[in-house]
Amino acid sequence: MKVSLALSLASASLWHRRKVLALVCLTLTLSVTLLLGIQYLRTEVKQSFTSTISDTDLIIGARSGQLNLLMYTVFHIGDATNNIRWSTFQDLKQDARIDWLIPVSLGDSYKGFRVVGTDKGFAEHFRFGRGQPLNLAGGHWFDGIFDVVLGAGVARTLNHGLGDKIVLSHGGGRTSFSNHKDTPFTVTGILEATGTPVDQAVYISLQGMEAIHVGWESGVAIPGRTLTPEKAKNREFTPKTITAVFAGLDRKILTFRVQRDLNQYAGEPLSAILPGVALSELWRLMSQFEQALLGITGFVVVTSLIGLIAVLLTLQTQRAHEIAILRATGASPGLIASLYLIECLALALVACTTSLVLGALAISLFGPWLLTNYGIQLQLRPLNLEEWALLISVPLAALSVALIPAFSAWRQSRSQGFGSSGET
Amino acid sequence: MNSQSESSGHSPEQEPAAIDVKNLSFCWGSQQPTLLFPDLILPQGEHLFLHGPSGTGKSTFLSLLAGMLAPAAGAIKLLGTDIHDLNAGKRDRFRADHMGVIFQQFNLVPYLTAEANVTLPCRLSRRRKAATGEAPATAAQKLLTALAIPQSHWQRKVTQLSIGQQQRIAAARALIGAPEIILADEPTSALDSDNRDRFIQLLLSMAEERNTSVLFVSHDRSLTYHFHHQLELGQVTA
Repeated sequence: MKVSLALSLASASLWHRRKVLALVCLTLTLSVTLLLGIQYLRTEVKQSFTSTISDTDLIIGARSGQLNLLMYTVFHIGDATNNIRWSTFQDLKQDARIDWLIPVSLGDSYKGFRVVGTDKGFAEHFRFGRGQPLNLAGGHWFDGIFDVVLGAGVARTLNHGLGDKIVLSHGGGRTSFSNHKDTPFTVTGILEATGTPVDQAVYISLQGMEAIHVGWESGVAIPGRTLTPEKAKNREFTPKTITAVFAGLDRKILTFRVQRDLNQYAGEPLSAILPGVALSELWRLMSQFEQALLGITGFVVVTSLIGLIAVLLTLQTQRAHEIAILRATGASPGLIASLYLIECLALALVACTTSLVLGALAISLFGPWLLTNYGIQLQLRPLNLEEWALLISVPLAALSVALIPAFSAWRQSRSQGFGSSGET
Repeated sequence: MNSQSESSGHSPEQEPAAIDVKNLSFCWGSQQPTLLFPDLILPQGEHLFLHGPSGTGKSTFLSLLAGMLAPAAGAIKLLGTDIHDLNAGKRDRFRADHMGVIFQQFNLVPYLTAEANVTLPCRLSRRRKAATGEAPATAAQKLLTALAIPQSHWQRKVTQLSIGQQQRIAAARALIGAPEIILADEPTSALDSDNRDRFIQLLLSMAEERNTSVLFVSHDRSLTYHFHHQLELGQVTA
C-alpha cells in the first residue's frame, strides 16, 4: 500500500517537474551514452583488432620477433627482416599437418598502399572478423599476370573502378621515383570493406610480382631488360623467394608442435607465430590509453550526477509545503525520503534506457557508413557483462547520491512542525 | 490555564475526550522563552475555537497536538491515547488514522488532481479507507459535490483552482474517512468574509454529520459564534 503510494506520488511529482528534470535527465542521458558508447567502442575495436585475421593458425616468416612479423604481414607496417626461400614454401606444402598455405610477397607499393603478391589461396582461405571470408564488391580475382585486385580503402581513396590501368612503384613510400611503368596492371576486382588492413592494400599474383621485377635485379630498372606485357605472356614465372606464409592446420591441437618444428626448421631460420597471441600482446600496448579514456568518461557521469543532486536539493526548498502536507496527513519521514530515492532512481533509469536506445540507433544508422568511409567495423550486438555492469552502476550511483537529499528531507520532516517550516 | 471546554451531559467513562491537554509547554531552543499552553478537554463531536494573535504559538500548539513536535513537558491525550508515548511511526499512523488537517494556505499537493488530494488520507490509512464504506474516489466525489466544487474541476491540477476552492478541497481531504479530530490552522484567512462564513458553516455541519471534533485556530475573533467552545491563547507565555 505504502509502496504503491510512494511510487504514484513520485511519478506524479516527476511529471509535475518534467521541464526542469528533463534537462537534468538529458545531461545524464548524454553522459551515460558517452560512457556506454566508449565502453562499447572499446570492446568492438578490441574485437575488430584482435580479429584482424582469423582462422589462420600460424604466420611463418624469416626469423624475427613476433610483433615485427605480425606488423609487416598483417598490418603492412615496417619491413621484413628477410625473405624465405621458395623451396621452403614447397617443403611446407608437403607437411601433412598443414591444411592450407597462403604465400605472401611484399615490398612494392601503389601510391603509398602496399602491394601484396599472393595466390588464389588468399581469396579462398583468408578470413577476418568472426571467420568472414573476403568478398568482391565487383569484378573477379586476378587471372592474368597483370591483373590487380584493390582493397576497398584503396579503391575509395583513389577513386578507382574496374578496368582502370595502374602502375605500381618499386619499394614502399607514397612518392616513388622508380615505377614499374613498363608493366601496367588492370583492375579486375575490388574487395568489399572489411574494416581491417586488407582494405589498405592491392593484391596481385606471385607471377605478376616476379614479372614486374625482371630486369630489376640490381634494384633499379635496367633499360631494355625489363619485360613488356607482350613478352611476359609467353613466360612462366616462379618466385625464388616470398616474404611470409599464412598457414591453416588440419588439427588445431597440433599448432604448438608445428610452431616448434618450424622455429627449429633446418633449411633456414624461420619464425612461426600465433596471430591471436601476437594481436592480444599488441593490444595490451594500447590498454592504458583506453583505460584513461574510460576514466574520463566516468568523471563525466559523476559530474552530471552531482548536477542532478544540485537540482534536487534546489527543488527541495520548493517542496517544503508539499512535504508539510504529506507529513500532516500522516506520511512518515521514511515515505518522504523514499520519494527522493524513487525519483532519482527513476531519472537514472530513464537516462539509461534512453541512452541504450540512442546508442542502438546510432550504431545501426552510422555503422555501415563508418565501415565504408572509415573502415571501422561496428555492429549491433547484445551488451556484454562488463557493459551491463557499467550501465547498472549508473542507477546505483544515482541511488546512493540521492541519499543526500533523501536524508536531509527525512531529517527536516522529522523536526518539522505544523505548517510549512517551523513557523510558530 | 483557563478552560471553558467542560461540556455538560458528558461523562468521561463513556468515551474518551477527543482532545485532552494537561500542563503542556514547549520550547524552540534554550535561548527562546518557554511557551505554556492552557489545559483543555474537548469531547468528541464538539468544536473549539482557539483564538490568539500571531506569535502566540498557535501553530506550535497544533504541531504538538498533531504529534509533529515533542513537548517540553505535559501530556496530550487524543481519544484516550497519549500520543507522545507512541513511537514516531505509530504517531504518524495515529495522525493518518484519526486526524484531518487544514492549513492557512498551500494545502494541497501541487502535482495531484483535486480528487487525488482528497483521497490521499485513504491511501495513507486503511482505517480511513474502510471508514468511507465505498471506493475512496466515490467518497471524494460526494464530498467535493457537497463542498460545491464543480465536477469539471475534479481531475484538474489544484494549482489551476482558486484559493477558496483549494481550501474547500482541503476540507474535503480532512473530512474523508470520518477522522475523530480536525485541526484547522487559520484556514479562512485568505478568504473574503462571505466565503469565510460559508466555509466554516460547511466544514462544521459536515463534521457534525461525522461526529468529528474541529479545533479551529484563528486570530479573527468574529468567527467565535460558530463554535461550541472558545479558548484564548497567548496570556500564558513565560
